[in-house]
Amino acid sequence: MLENVPILSLLLIVPFIGAMVTLLLGTSPKASKYLALAFSGITLALSVLLLFNFSLSSTEAFQFRENYVWIQQLGISYNLAVDGISLPMVFLSALLVFLSILFSWDVEERTRTYMGLMLILEVGVLGVFMALDYFLFYVFWEVVLIPMYFLIAIWGGPSRAYASIKFFIYTHIASLVMLLGIFALYFTASPLLGSPSFGMESIASVAGSFGHDLALIVFSALLFGFIVKMPMVPFHTWLPDAHVQAPTAGSVLLAGLLLKMGSYGVIRVCITTFNDLSHEATIMVALAVIGVVSIIYGAFACLAQTDLKKMVAYSSISHMGIVLLGIATMTELGLAAAVFQMFSHGLITAVLFMTCGMFQHKAGTREIPLLGGLAPKMPIVATIMMIGFMASLGLPGLVGFIAEFSVFTATYNIFDLWVLIPVMSVAITAAYYIWAMQRTIFGDLTTKIDTKHIHDSYWFETMPLAVLIGLIALFGIFPSLLMDIILPSVAPLAAVI
Amino acid sequence: MYWSELAWLIPIFPLIAFVVIGFLGNKLFKKAEGGGYVAIAMAAVSCFISLMVAYEILSGGYPGELFKQSLLWINVPGQDLSFTFNVGIYIDTLTALMLIVVSFISTLVVIYSVGYMHEEGEKKRRYYAIISLFIGVMLGLVLASNYLQMFIFWELVGLCSYLLIGFWYTKPSAASAAKKAFLVTRVGDIMFMLGLFIFFVGFGGNLDYEHIFNYNFEDFVGGNSMLTLGTFFIFGGAVGKSAQFPLHDWLPDAMEGPTTVSALIHAATMVKAGVYLVARSYPVMVETPDTMLIVAIVGGITALMAATMALNNPNIKRVLAYSTISQLGYMFLALGTGGYFFALTQEANAGYTSGMFHLMNHAFFKALLFLSAGAVIHAVHTEDMRLMGGLSKKLKITSLVMLIGCISIAGIPPLSGFWSKDEILASVWETGAENPIFYLLYIMGILTAFMTAFYMFRLWFMTFKGEPRDHHAYDHAHEAPKVMWVPLAILAVLAFGSGFALFMGFGEAIVPNIEHWHAHSEDVAGILTTIFSEWQTYLSIIAAALGIYLAYLMYMKKSINPDVFVATPGRKRVYDFLLARYGFTAGYDWIGLKVVYGLSLVVDWFDRKVIDGIVNGFATITVRLGNVLRKGQTGFVQTYAGVVLAGVSLIVILLFLLGGLI
Amino acid sequence: MIAIEYFLGLSAILFAIGAMGVLVKKNAIVVLMCIELMLNAANINFVAFSAYYGDLTGQVFALVSIAIAAAEVAVGLAIIMNLYKTRDTIGLDEISLLRW
Repeated sequence: MLENVPILSLLLIVPFIGAMVTLLLGTSPKASKYLALAFSGITLALSVLLLFNFSLSSTEAFQFRENYVWIQQLGISYNLAVDGISLPMVFLSALLVFLSILFSWDVEERTRTYMGLMLILEVGVLGVFMALDYFLFYVFWEVVLIPMYFLIAIWGGPSRAYASIKFFIYTHIASLVMLLGIFALYFTASPLLGSPSFGMESIASVAGSFGHDLALIVFSALLFGFIVKMPMVPFHTWLPDAHVQAPTAGSVLLAGLLLKMGSYGVIRVCITTFNDLSHEATIMVALAVIGVVSIIYGAFACLAQTDLKKMVAYSSISHMGIVLLGIATMTELGLAAAVFQMFSHGLITAVLFMTCGMFQHKAGTREIPLLGGLAPKMPIVATIMMIGFMASLGLPGLVGFIAEFSVFTATYNIFDLWVLIPVMSVAITAAYYIWAMQRTIFGDLTTKIDTKHIHDSYWFETMPLAVLIGLIALFGIFPSLLMDIILPSVAPLAAVI
Repeated sequence: MYWSELAWLIPIFPLIAFVVIGFLGNKLFKKAEGGGYVAIAMAAVSCFISLMVAYEILSGGYPGELFKQSLLWINVPGQDLSFTFNVGIYIDTLTALMLIVVSFISTLVVIYSVGYMHEEGEKKRRYYAIISLFIGVMLGLVLASNYLQMFIFWELVGLCSYLLIGFWYTKPSAASAAKKAFLVTRVGDIMFMLGLFIFFVGFGGNLDYEHIFNYNFEDFVGGNSMLTLGTFFIFGGAVGKSAQFPLHDWLPDAMEGPTTVSALIHAATMVKAGVYLVARSYPVMVETPDTMLIVAIVGGITALMAATMALNNPNIKRVLAYSTISQLGYMFLALGTGGYFFALTQEANAGYTSGMFHLMNHAFFKALLFLSAGAVIHAVHTEDMRLMGGLSKKLKITSLVMLIGCISIAGIPPLSGFWSKDEILASVWETGAENPIFYLLYIMGILTAFMTAFYMFRLWFMTFKGEPRDHHAYDHAHEAPKVMWVPLAILAVLAFGSGFALFMGFGEAIVPNIEHWHAHSEDVAGILTTIFSEWQTYLSIIAAALGIYLAYLMYMKKSINPDVFVATPGRKRVYDFLLARYGFTAGYDWIGLKVVYGLSLVVDWFDRKVIDGIVNGFATITVRLGNVLRKGQTGFVQTYAGVVLAGVSLIVILLFLLGGLI
Repeated sequence: MIAIEYFLGLSAILFAIGAMGVLVKKNAIVVLMCIELMLNAANINFVAFSAYYGDLTGQVFALVSIAIAAAEVAVGLAIIMNLYKTRDTIGLDEISLLRW
């Protein structure tokens, strides 16, 4: 039924029109909220439609392809398609933007711009996940940066100027390195192909004959661009600052989607293009080391944080490390689990940041030492927090466990007992979450802040969280719903040719 | 149509209760004990099905004596190794035994809770929801058909215990105890996970019991050394969950939860999961005698160590907690002994059977003891035995049933504890012929038996006999309501008589799924002659009797003043050392606060100062450089013009000199 | 016919005087006048070469240049007027707003 509908283009056009309409017609905060919600809702509906029309038995690597020549002389084309790796991300993006807009229902300051920027961000993120042309990919990649910069810079916390500039410059430098990598790909591949091309697939088809040293350099440049975005230790410090200052919805999208762009890039660009290289032991070990360091380092850093949100930010680093570790194994299980972890982390981290946002709103602070005993005051928030934390620490039955367990299994399979090191993080992760809960919602009611007016969550906060928790449980209990989509797409990557 | 085919419903019913009470309870159960009756009904239904299934399996009613069902959960085909994750049900006699124990005791505990938790008001809903979940996941754990599924429920059991131990979360000590329970068992879980990875890869990507137990162990990837490591890690998981040395210290703290929860955790659910895990893994574990030896040694050490800690503790629940750890130590000792013996001689001794026998008996008498202690606490509103005394006049039923529990755990025939404990010690002695270390373990076991009898009767005498030491508490004390003492009475009957299962074919029924495992089958007279013709039996009875006599002298007749144990500084130090749990509490805190948290502070410092310092350093250098260079911008247009002119002239001159222009 | 060297010499002298004036004079109006000198030096070159080669393009350029110079003077004087209004001076030493 969708044969002749350009659904992927629609996924880009709808939020774009939505942004324009919101910016033009959102004369009152209320109007702009409803407009933005409506347009992101349509986008979400389209992505669900896409999900249900995705064929699991297709022999094509990519589905719903739309390929038009754009600038023939330079080999640039408008090439969109999804496979099992990008499809979950597309759904996740549409979902999180929709829920973030709902969660931001009480933004009264410059609502119109806020909502417009959210929708532009959605265009960029969806574009990154669907583009199969490096030029297009890079354009969307940069499009994402600007609305996020403004979201932090305008609606952020006290030192938002510092955080937003740091975010922008740091990730932009990484993007430039990546751009150099893309140019190298382009100029090396075009003569081999006989005609200029920015197409990801065509470049990947000749990348095998690049020469080892050149391939290594290009691989590293691209990898650098992506792992800064993920972010991996030691290129991570922009993340905690950006998160702490960003508004709640900004944090949700930052952690839920922008970080995924990095890991998506590693899979879609690095290991797909340089598949032979990625199977080399040194590369696998290098990736694994970066991942493991991030896992452990992030977990330890979490334990020391006093700001709830900063803790969650560091936990993102730790959990994205699991993604990279999964990729490093270069096995079906590891890669599928990495993609699964990207999806599950997107859901879970959204819950966590929304929880932090609620603490900020209700208690006026996120400083753990100032909080305490708040569970009786706000039982729903406390319950959500507990579910979110439990999901994040990998409790079975929730979505995080499957990914974590599979990645570690794959790690043991490839790297033997070295798996001991990343597995330690399981205990540390539990420690910082449980300890944080003990100090914020359990125990005696705090006297350090005024708790008289603390109240439970509003409907527009509970609703998105309920949806997220529902999905966390759904994919935790029936992981094969997602695994079956992912597996066919990662299997060729794991295959040793 | 077999009952076993309905087994999948067993965990479902309590889970339904959880969902109904947890999510709809606010509206539905304002009055009805916060959903307590729903929880009872659901637990009772699943108990009924469990009993029917267990009867069917134990009586051989189901063809093949094994019931298996499984569905594919996730399948990850791979080039060299495919991973299959299943969910399913696996019922053999071991499962049947666990089903009986878990579902029956859980049901009684929930009934008892109606009385015990009556005054909790709004919180009751949360209590019944979580306890239903607890029962459901524990039953799920028992029924699981593969290790991964077991691990999933294993973790959920951990979550429930976390929630229940921290039930009164506004109390900082409860929140802290819950945290400790979760984190310490989590350390065990890491080992379990590592064991699973090794098994997963080693056994070719499938964790089904069915698959593993029939596996040709020669084909194990990594060989026997890796298999040993795998079983060792699996046992590590059991150490965490079953509170064995050195991960035992969370269990005494877990007494912060309601007493009913303690009863459930100690008697039926959580801590038994570890024993069950080792028993379940027997077909694999007997391939690795080294692991089995470690199991036995850890069990022996724990049994003795926990017993010593119970000797002088004034808190009634803590004493029971230590006794649980100690009795669990017996179970591991038994399992380790049996497995070691089998691994070396390929012949079965009573280790396995007696371990599981003790698990069952312990479940009944420990549930009885905890619930009786709950009735006492309910009556006097304190857990400190120094404030009790003389309560037998007020709490007639409670004191009587508790006495039965005490005699049973002390190991006086013919009560249940005697039969299993005696068998355990006998099999340990028997294994001594293979490895002399088991003689040492035997001595530790006898010492433990002596101490167990002593501290249990110390508890009983201090609580129920003598003069009331706190008259206020004494005057307000009252017998528990019917809803509480009826379950106690039922448990008392079982604690008295469950040992007779030995004469009903327990030894033949409960055997591991190992092909060439031959159980000795004897008739009643044969069993009795074997038991009472050996000197070890009399030794253990004498040890227990001595313990009771000492307690009688010290706390009933008062002919020995307990203060002699703190009379000299040296004795006092030992006394305090025991109270401080051998310093384990401090050690855990040291590891947690100093090592882990200290390391995290270092990481945080490194992150802010070094890594972020370098990042900000780049920014600072850029800004500084700009500051220097911009001094060139004087703002005088004439200067700029001069520079332009000079530049142009320079270029022209250079072109002339180099001859490019002409 | 006068040799082209004389025209070029005159033009060079005018240009040098103009450039010197632009660089050293402190009064904005004088600087503006010096710029006019430099422009006219260029115009002389245009016209001279136009005559020398018999090509009218140079004269066209000179005319365009004169027209643009007129416009430029208008703009320049307007800027100076505004400067005088806002800062009470047209001394270039005191106008260094474009500094770091």
